[in-house]
Amino acid sequence: MTTSNATPKIKTQSFVRWNALIPFLCLCILVTLYFHFLFDGQLRRTIEWTGYKALGAEVNIASLKTSFFDASIQIEGIELTDAEMPAQNSIKIGSIRFGMLWDAFLRLKFVINEAAMEQIEFGSPRKHPGKVAPLPPTSQEPGMLSTVGEKFKNEAQKEIESRYEDNILGDIINLLGSGDKNTALQNLTATLPSKAMIEKFQKNLDEKQKNWNLQLKSLPQGQEIQALSDRLNKIQSKDFKTPQELATALQQLQSLFQDADNKYKKIESLKTDFDKDLKFLQTEYQQIEKQVKIDTGDLEKRFKIPKLDAKSLTLAIFNRYLAPYRAKFFKYQTLAKKYLPPKFLHKTESDENTIQAHPREKGITYEFSRKNSYPMFWVKRISISSKALPEGNYGNLKGEVTNITSNQVLVGQPTKAHIAGDFPSKGISGFLLDLSLDNRPIESLIQYLFKIDSYDITGKVLVNSEEVNIGFNKAQGSMKLDGSLTGFKKLVVAFDNQFKKIDYSIATNNENATQILKSIFNGIPSIHLMASAQGEFPNIPLSVESSLGTDLQKGFQKEIQAKISEAQKKIQIYIDQEIGKQKAQVDGQLDKLKLTIQNEVNKAQGQLDEQKKKAESKVNIAKKDSENQGRKKLEIEGKKALDDLKKQLGF
Amino acid sequence: MSLLLKQIFNFLKLLNSETETTPLAYGLALGLILGFAPFFSLQTFLVLMIVFVFRVQLGAAFLSAFFFKLVAFLFDYPAHLLGKSILEAEPLRPAFTELYNLPIVPMTRFNNSIVMGSMVVSFFLYPVAVFGFRKLIEAYRKTIVSRFKNTKFWKAFTATKVYNWYAKYTELYG
Repeated sequence: MTTSNATPKIKTQSFVRWNALIPFLCLCILVTLYFHFLFDGQLRRTIEWTGYKALGAEVNIASLKTSFFDASIQIEGIELTDAEMPAQNSIKIGSIRFGMLWDAFLRLKFVINEAAMEQIEFGSPRKHPGKVAPLPPTSQEPGMLSTVGEKFKNEAQKEIESRYEDNILGDIINLLGSGDKNTALQNLTATLPSKAMIEKFQKNLDEKQKNWNLQLKSLPQGQEIQALSDRLNKIQSKDFKTPQELATALQQLQSLFQDADNKYKKIESLKTDFDKDLKFLQTEYQQIEKQVKIDTGDLEKRFKIPKLDAKSLTLAIFNRYLAPYRAKFFKYQTLAKKYLPPKFLHKTESDENTIQAHPREKGITYEFSRKNSYPMFWVKRISISSKALPEGNYGNLKGEVTNITSNQVLVGQPTKAHIAGDFPSKGISGFLLDLSLDNRPIESLIQYLFKIDSYDITGKVLVNSEEVNIGFNKAQGSMKLDGSLTGFKKLVVAFDNQFKKIDYSIATNNENATQILKSIFNGIPSIHLMASAQGEFPNIPLSVESSLGTDLQKGFQKEIQAKISEAQKKIQIYIDQEIGKQKAQVDGQLDKLKLTIQNEVNKAQGQLDEQKKKAESKVNIAKKDSENQGRKKLEIEGKKALDDLKKQLGF
Repeated sequence: MSLLLKQIFNFLKLLNSETETTPLAYGLALGLILGFAPFFSLQTFLVLMIVFVFRVQLGAAFLSAFFFKLVAFLFDYPAHLLGKSILEAEPLRPAFTELYNLPIVPMTRFNNSIVMGSMVVSFFLYPVAVFGFRKLIEAYRKTIVSRFKNTKFWKAFTATKVYNWYAKYTELYG
């Protein structure tokens, strides 16, 4: 075994790692080769895979080319499968290309001078059906998205139910068909909640009346007041011989006042209690009157007596047509509630646990911009163009989106989009989309206009119920949607939809009703449907109006208004029979009680006031008398003293 | 990963040897800058180039970067305050505007308050760190290493064949 105390010696080497130069160069060459030969293909496959995962339907890209030196990308043949109809694409884009500016990129800014999107096709057939992702298994526990989704679904459902609860058209058809509702009304019997309420009220009123009668008896009666009057008469009010007599009289008067005042207070307290009870009874009575109205409405519903008002008719006809739009409106309203920052919703932070970026985590990034410098992100122009070809589903589209940027103040321009065109193969002409987003003012302003001058409608079902089917066999429509969003909180939406050259499809379960409906609808050659919403997030009411509602109201009024009025009258008579008598009795009883108590209280108060006045006048007389007596005494004493003085002086 | 582990073992080996104090001290000090800088930034790229091109001890740089990354995380808030006060200083504004609009320079992300604060601190600490680490390594070698080498255990271990083979291997292949 050899022993050594030598420590390992480290070789002294050059200051620069020259031996690493060749591996580094090899690495650079490999990276260049990868980007030249493999990167484009891998990026294309990555986009396809990500698109499939995000959209749940196959995404195809025919070719993708990138260039490092031009900082550009060109994507051709983008096809997005329609998840509901996998044999066709929801959208196909012929090519997208854009290039970044190296000059800006070296400053860590992303500036695209011009991007182009060409040959846009909707609903075009695919060469082979696209793959559609299976629906994910339903989770037992509600997740965030499902909760939000459920919330908007419920809201939309509630809205729909509230509209549908009166199946107005079905009821009208029944009335048109059967002709007579009144036979069913002959045997009208019902348990009316208002009747039970009025009976309970009657019992309550009887008890109160007993109680008040007892309390009225405890009021100061005529004898007690007479006794007070007698006591008052006995009290001396003049010719006081001594000051003690005056003092005794005043004391007696004081005691009388006290007694009278106690009685007065008792009357006052009784009056206050009665007013309270009366107020309570009146509130209860108002509830009964409300219930009577509800009961009348319920009976009208039970016997399917329709209301011929324009708004209800509009909603009954267009409910199905507007349902998808309304669902979308509620969806975005709910999402806005969830994701808009609290300042836009007047929420406090305690309302919801939101994750806020903290300076410690990210710091503050400053922009030291100057005139004509690049903003952080800027797409100067995206041009969109597509030309209709006889064999495809292309549209004649032309438009541009300008100035998509992270700093509009620096660029000095708002973001604008203008796309116009038509889709001859789909019968759509005069398509226009105008969008403007201006973040330069303190409150940002988004303005939008979406318009289609003319589009063909075929086989559109509006109402589909057991009793009636109404729809358009053929029609020509035009629509306009415009509005604005100010400061991400004030929303204005106006939707205007017109239908012309309408060929109605009308069918009911009754031939007579069908004929009447056809004659009414044939007199309505065009329909104007308007929906509007205006307000601040999150509460924005949506209202719907249509010329059809008014036209239908007029048409139906001719045919069935008399029948409706008669049925309503019968229901009113029944309600009057059931509760009218008792209601009148209660009314009378309540008025009588009120009058009796007021009379009694006023009478007692009047008598006491009279005695009070008498006592006051007596006190005044006693005061004057004692003053006169004092004055006389002084005069006599003065005269006497003067006489004595005269005598002493010898006059 | 094995390359990284090899570098860390080399660092430990160098730390316990009697030579190469300067590359170790520079490695540790450059690691400080790496730790305080965001990963995707120009300064990280430049420091990495220096570390790779010049014979700075890589293991020391990476270990130090890892350690100072944790320190920088704790230092985020003071760095934010420092960076904010520098970036908001009126007299420096024209200089920052010029720098911000120059090519390449914005890649340092100097316009972020935390990055600016950390960068200033790391650049000021760099010369101190080079000097300090050199002194610390020398003190470590003089006290701990030499004391350990005088222990009976170490003497017995260096007398073994395994150690001799290891010493020969190191001498031949480094």
